[in-house]
Amino acid sequence: MEDNLKIHRSVYDLIKGATPPGLLARWLGGVINAVDEGKPIVYHPFTTYNEIMVAMDVVSLCCEAWDIVGLQVDQDHAIRSVDAAHEAGIPPELCSFDKAIIGSILRGTIPKPAAIVQAGMPCQNAYITCQAAAALTGVPLFVCDTPYDLDEDGALDHWVNQYKGMIAFVEEHTGKKMDYDRLKEVVEESNRCVEYWLEAAELMKLKPAPRSGPLSQGTLAGMMSFGTPEGTAGMKALLDEIKDKVAKGETAIPEEKARVIWFHFQVFWDNPLMGFINELGATVPYVLFDDFRVEPVDTSSTERMLRGMARRALQSPMGKVGCGKVEILLDDMLYAAEQWKGDCIIIGANPGCKWFTGAYGLIRDACRERGIPLMLYDVDLVDRRVTSAEESRTRVEQFLTTVMDR
Amino acid sequence: MASLDELTKSAATLSNLHIERWKGNGGRVIGSYCTYVPVEIIHAAGMLPYRMRATGSTSSDLGDVYAYRTMCTFCRHSLDQAMRGEFGFLDGLVAFYSCDHVRRLYDVWKFGKVDFPRSPFYLHFMSIPMKSDEETVEWLTSVLGRFRRSLEDHFQVTITDDALRESIRVYNERRTLLGRLYELRKADAPPLSGTEMLGIMIAGTAMPAEEFNQKLKDLLEELKGREGFSGYRARLLVGGGELEDPDYIKTIEDLGGLVVTDFLCFGVRDFWIPVEEDGDPLRALAKRYLERPSCPRMIDYPRRQEFLMNLVKDYKVDGVIMQRMKYCDTWGGEGAIMEWDLKKERMATPYMVLEREYMMGAVGQMRTRVQAFLETIGR
Ligand code: SF4
Ligand code: SF4
Repeated sequence: MEDNLKIHRSVYDLIKGATPPGLLARWLGGVINAVDEGKPIVYHPFTTYNEIMVAMDVVSLCCEAWDIVGLQVDQDHAIRSVDAAHEAGIPPELCSFDKAIIGSILRGTIPKPAAIVQAGMPCQNAYITCQAAAALTGVPLFVCDTPYDLDEDGALDHWVNQYKGMIAFVEEHTGKKMDYDRLKEVVEESNRCVEYWLEAAELMKLKPAPRSGPLSQGTLAGMMSFGTPEGTAGMKALLDEIKDKVAKGETAIPEEKARVIWFHFQVFWDNPLMGFINELGATVPYVLFDDFRVEPVDTSSTERMLRGMARRALQSPMGKVGCGKVEILLDDMLYAAEQWKGDCIIIGANPGCKWFTGAYGLIRDACRERGIPLMLYDVDLVDRRVTSAEESRTRVEQFLTTVMDR
Repeated sequence: MASLDELTKSAATLSNLHIERWKGNGGRVIGSYCTYVPVEIIHAAGMLPYRMRATGSTSSDLGDVYAYRTMCTFCRHSLDQAMRGEFGFLDGLVAFYSCDHVRRLYDVWKFGKVDFPRSPFYLHFMSIPMKSDEETVEWLTSVLGRFRRSLEDHFQVTITDDALRESIRVYNERRTLLGRLYELRKADAPPLSGTEMLGIMIAGTAMPAEEFNQKLKDLLEELKGREGFSGYRARLLVGGGELEDPDYIKTIEDLGGLVVTDFLCFGVRDFWIPVEEDGDPLRALAKRYLERPSCPRMIDYPRRQEFLMNLVKDYKVDGVIMQRMKYCDTWGGEGAIMEWDLKKERMATPYMVLEREYMMGAVGQMRTRVQAFLETIGR
């Protein structure tokens, strides 16, 4: 395992000395330390916030984030895992995020967990992946059953019960006990993080945009360090940066000719794509993966807090638009276009992301009705072999040229 | 084999004489995309439950306007037929999150992009849990209560508890009769081929339950005098998702394999395990539908895999063919997990994943792969 984790250890070695320690360093250091000291690790997907684990002092490992970290230093990191999954019989048309997780387990490049939990994932790929992970690692799995429509009678109660079940499961399989006073502190911390997040997203509505591209720190805070001081500090730093720009009248680019609503994840292996869009004269004030419009969790009683946490878990970026009816997806897309003053929408989705691609026809109709230019294209978020950086740029450039000529 | 002929004929087209007669008598038909919809509730409302298929479709051109190319071709063909108005006999459609493809297919229906047979057309979506425990049984009981009320409200009918109990009895009888047919297939010379069995199973989802039960009873009688199939090269189990084309099984059986059991939704997953006949009928339904052999939409590892391994033992299966529609995520992952598990078993049953499209295209290629598989088994 020592050698298999070398990519992540090298990332940690690079960032661990920073003062104050960043959220990535805290998280990565925590996981690596847990491996070295044999402490229990719990896998969770990015829609399952780790406040429960933080409060129980359990080391949480967001599997998607693990592979994204690997991608930042080695573009082939995820590809090797994707190939390992294919070799083990996982078909190519599954989401590459999920194939990368399965492949990383097969290759041993992700630490072995003591248990796996899952709440609020929007797709069948994720359900397959957690079962595959349980099969490969032999560890117990708990999946919260997601009601399709949270407004249905009793749906929230059902969901809250599932959430409580997850806490009991983590207690059972890690030997740790939930301390609800500690959980209250953690949730108050995550509330602060959300507040900063919302404020930052609000500032991104300004025209011209003070900043362009994904609010990565915010998203990573949610994925890895929700409810920790480092997570909140990371988000606060981002907000301060945007505020500072606004105060100084600085904008993302000198002349904003178009605003792009990027209605999916960013392409994790191709960070420069956002810069390329800027070079064309457009900004990206909105990325779906950053859209975290939630209420703060009421911590005045344990019951209220658990209800609030459960509700928030179904409002995660992607989770909210993916877990239920297509109307939520369409409404959110149109709302984003209106609020963030988008001139167009680009959806670059994993071909494996079927709940999304399956809605393309209705998305196209909705945009057509409102006269919003739309570009739909296949781009894999972790595997650069599907659509190359050059192809991506050609398509985006052609589209934005038409939008800007309108 | 009059009953067998009639059943397999009923399965060969989207609609059939039974449905036409039902409609001719003013009956209503409610479609559903999957075996997790408790058909007993539709039956108790005096309506005919119909399992959605795409039988007879030759293209998905129209459906592809709304179904992206990465949707499974069953969904694309089925949508195409809906958009062409070929489900004229339907009065409603009920769906749930079976998979990402079907839920979006339902959305296209809901947004009125299909040619609705009549207005107002009944549409209902249920939140069927993805795992089975005490709490999800309670939740599903309430979901089924809302399904019952929505049928009552839309069609102005009453679904009494007694009617539900009677429907449960009728469908339990069907389960028992199908169980007896499957039992016969354990024999060294089974009197039914896999091709025939698939036709029977499909027919059962497109005709009144009482008529189907009668046909099954007749068939069981008729089979008493039938010579069994022998001289086959291997006893096979065919598993996987949507498979509604008996010719697919026929291609396998023409090469000398005999399909003696299955892990299909038009198969064991549809009828295994009866519904308890005492107590609250909705709760009994909720419990049965969550406890039946699961499909990979359910978080049920490793119970599902163990169920399959038991079938392998009980039916003396020599090889497992897992057929999977291209782009189907759930069965894509499941195919791999099953393989990992089967490899772990000491007896290591030969296993093959066969990818397919809705329309049987590359038969030559399929024949070559099955042929090679049968050779691996050593027959
Ligand atoms: S990208 Fe889409 S398919 Fe992949 S894990 Fe996320 S939601 Fe699921
Ligand atoms: S074959 Fe797979 S993708 Fe197609 S409808 Fe069935 S479960 Fe869904």
